[in-house]
Amino acid sequence: MKAPFSKYLDSIAPRLKALVYELGREYDYVSVLSTDSVGFTASVSQHYKSVSGKTMTTERGTVVRVMKDGLYSEYAFNEAEPDIASKLKKELSSQFELMRKLGTKPYATAAIPDEPIELFVEKETGTLPEETDMNALIEMFNELSDEGMRTIPAALDCFLRGSSTHISKLFITKNRFMRQSYVYSEGTIGAYSPSDDGETRMIYEGVSGLGGPEIFEGLREKLAAAPKTMEELLKAEKIVPGEYEIITDPGISGLIAHEAFGHGVEMDMFVKKRALGAEYLGKRVGSDLVTMHEGALCDESVTAFAFDDEGTLAGDVVEIDKGILKTGIADALSALRLGIAPTGNGKRENYAHKAYTRMTNTVFDSGSDSLEDMIASVKHGYLLKGTESGMEDPKHWGIQCIVHRGYEIVDGVLTGKVVTPVVMTGYVPDLLGNITMASPDRRVDGNGGCGKGYKEWVKVADGGPYLKTKARLG
Amino acid sequence: MFEILKAKLEALGADAWELTELHEKRWEFYFIRHELDQNRYVNTLTYEVKVLKSIEDGKFIGSASGEISPTLSDEEIDKTLSELLSRAGLVKNKPYSITSKPITAMPETKEIDVSEIAESFLEAVRAVKETESEDINSYELFVSEKRKRFLNSNGVGYTCVYPGSMLEIVINARREGHEIELYRAFRSGACDKEKIEADVKSALRVGRDRLNAVATPELGDIDVVLSTADAVSVYEYFLDNLSAGFKVRGMSDWEAGKPICEELSGDKLSFEVLSRLENSSYDYPVDDEGREIEDRFIIRDGVAEGYWGSRQFCEYLGIKSSDVLNFRCTGGTKTEDELRSGDYIEPVEFSDFQVDSVSGSVAGEIRLAYLHRGGETMIVTGGSVSGDMSETIKTMAMSRKLKQYNYAVIPEITRLRGLRLNGAERK
Repeated sequence: MKAPFSKYLDSIAPRLKALVYELGREYDYVSVLSTDSVGFTASVSQHYKSVSGKTMTTERGTVVRVMKDGLYSEYAFNEAEPDIASKLKKELSSQFELMRKLGTKPYATAAIPDEPIELFVEKETGTLPEETDMNALIEMFNELSDEGMRTIPAALDCFLRGSSTHISKLFITKNRFMRQSYVYSEGTIGAYSPSDDGETRMIYEGVSGLGGPEIFEGLREKLAAAPKTMEELLKAEKIVPGEYEIITDPGISGLIAHEAFGHGVEMDMFVKKRALGAEYLGKRVGSDLVTMHEGALCDESVTAFAFDDEGTLAGDVVEIDKGILKTGIADALSALRLGIAPTGNGKRENYAHKAYTRMTNTVFDSGSDSLEDMIASVKHGYLLKGTESGMEDPKHWGIQCIVHRGYEIVDGVLTGKVVTPVVMTGYVPDLLGNITMASPDRRVDGNGGCGKGYKEWVKVADGGPYLKTKARLG
Repeated sequence: MFEILKAKLEALGADAWELTELHEKRWEFYFIRHELDQNRYVNTLTYEVKVLKSIEDGKFIGSASGEISPTLSDEEIDKTLSELLSRAGLVKNKPYSITSKPITAMPETKEIDVSEIAESFLEAVRAVKETESEDINSYELFVSEKRKRFLNSNGVGYTCVYPGSMLEIVINARREGHEIELYRAFRSGACDKEKIEADVKSALRVGRDRLNAVATPELGDIDVVLSTADAVSVYEYFLDNLSAGFKVRGMSDWEAGKPICEELSGDKLSFEVLSRLENSSYDYPVDDEGREIEDRFIIRDGVAEGYWGSRQFCEYLGIKSSDVLNFRCTGGTKTEDELRSGDYIEPVEFSDFQVDSVSGSVAGEIRLAYLHRGGETMIVTGGSVSGDMSETIKTMAMSRKLKQYNYAVIPEITRLRGLRLNGAERK
């Protein structure tokens, strides 16, 4: 079925069109983004259960963007206000007064091009979150939690969490009328057990993608693998720090893609001269095996939208082609300031937040080496699995990834020794330059969220194949 | 709208309910250098509703929560509330109740002048002297007035008005074509102009030092001195391990009345929950469930005294408690000189510093640190520190002098002994 577009947004569209027309008499550029996204989150553990009508991206509100004399300003609200234009002018004028008092000049920018686009996209989905049989879902989560308690060694708890969101967004300018709706869902299963050394060890696996709560069925498969993982983890040791050959599973490959050349080529950072990537365009940043795509069109993931939060159509950008950095990604304002075309990466945490250049799907291309051959080629190293978190330094291309566990490989054979946790650090061109093997398969994950600095959380997805490279582990 | 929702909730047939209104007016300014990139005004009104339903004659209780948009129609509100009630009947939790104790000391409801606060922040930033080699790349300022109104079906209610601010700033330092950056985020209630100015100046100095940094050597075990906001996550490890949620779920084996660890030879930490904390962005004495927050210790001299957390988990433990919004950690016995003596590394800028409260793992990639070895000081970058809190708390040393980071007052200097330093020298 198709995810139906919000009736509420259709009902307010004529008023918003009139608002754009009215403000257009005074401002050089006017746009309106209005959102109406509904969903649910269900959580089940042995100790608590809950259900909520909120997810990371449920929202209903409107943001108006205006530009006059080169300065862009926004007014975000969520009430049914009778005279939005007057309110916007009054509130913004109070801010301009403060800026005048402080002698602040605008960072002048031209008007965003406004070629005509009319678009209506309702993406295919399974069940809608608002029509989900919640009783059946909770029962399934209860069943899996109970099964986890029976099968996972020494489990103190086995918990599940599933959320599903039906997104509807409306974008209007003088020449654009764009509507889209789609559903994405994400689920997690996890458990924790005490190890012999007194530490609590936790495992978790996720499923995610474009579609409804039917994707939570995939958690059954994740649960089936959980007992073995916990068994390994309970015996895990601390790693001896050093530089190692590593094989990254698709989740860790995605984390590297995201941290290294996701944040590193967000071009709002180029405008502020905050990214080393600007100096490397056209230059080698990885081995010939490294080709990386970024864009909402790259995968049917949690961020597979048809247009971004600034009314730019979704894209598929080849950021790195056979090791050469080709381009970055840009929101509409950054693109204008850099004299390039926007790439469909202008995203907001929600209507009440500013649009920044943000990632969508960031994905390494596949290769042709089997995982078995990759393991056989390692003298001493680790197969890394399980994403915890990552952080980048775009100015210096330092990267830090906290990895859940590593499986030791000695002389081409997995020894059975497992280490946890693993802090992987490195210099991005070294990390990518040392990639010598890549597997043919590829996976894209979209659980959780991505912040810019320590705020502005948005949905992103990333992935790739198994990759072989070198890194410092600690 | 609040009264309409209250009436609908009373008529819904729920066994209990909670209603929270949050009205936020936020000013935002974004600067590239000191030029205004964008200004924004945000005006949002949200209603959070939680309904509870008794299941199987009180054997279980279920709850469901959701957000009511102010633009929902009357029919949509009715549909949403009845759906919440129906969903509440699906999640069988052990019984617990909502707050019934009346609030004795109502929080303040005075107006907040966001313009005045914003002006103070911007003046503080512009008072910092920049040079050709050290300057401000960009900054973002967010200043809010938040008005919260809470009511539950037992008639417990309050209204409070409080400010919330954040200044995010990026500093550059350069020399001979080499440029580095530092990132700082300052969160608070209103603006402490002198503190902001001093902190930004300090960041400029740190930036200058980073230009001279060399790759961190591989040194194995070393003491780590923390003197920045990163140390807050060290103290939140203690907080988390005494949360009722951790306790009920078996994620913590800490127990009230017992020492937080065996073989404690370092400073004995005292951890105090505060009902109020000036210039915190949570400076109000009531939690989200309508429970008054009282000043009390949850750790005193290294011994756990009590738990904190949601009403649900606290009742499961059979205790009366509240959430923790603000806290103060004391018990340090050392001077700055004592803590900064011998061999140690003092990271002042991490890519990210994390303390996992469940496993106790400590990890952080170093962007800038001062490495003190054999009486010499090296400025280093790269590499990481890692360790295990369950071991390091046994010997942790703290300064007597305290410093506030938004909602947390912690020792100005914390020394974690025997963490592992993973180097960054390239082969």
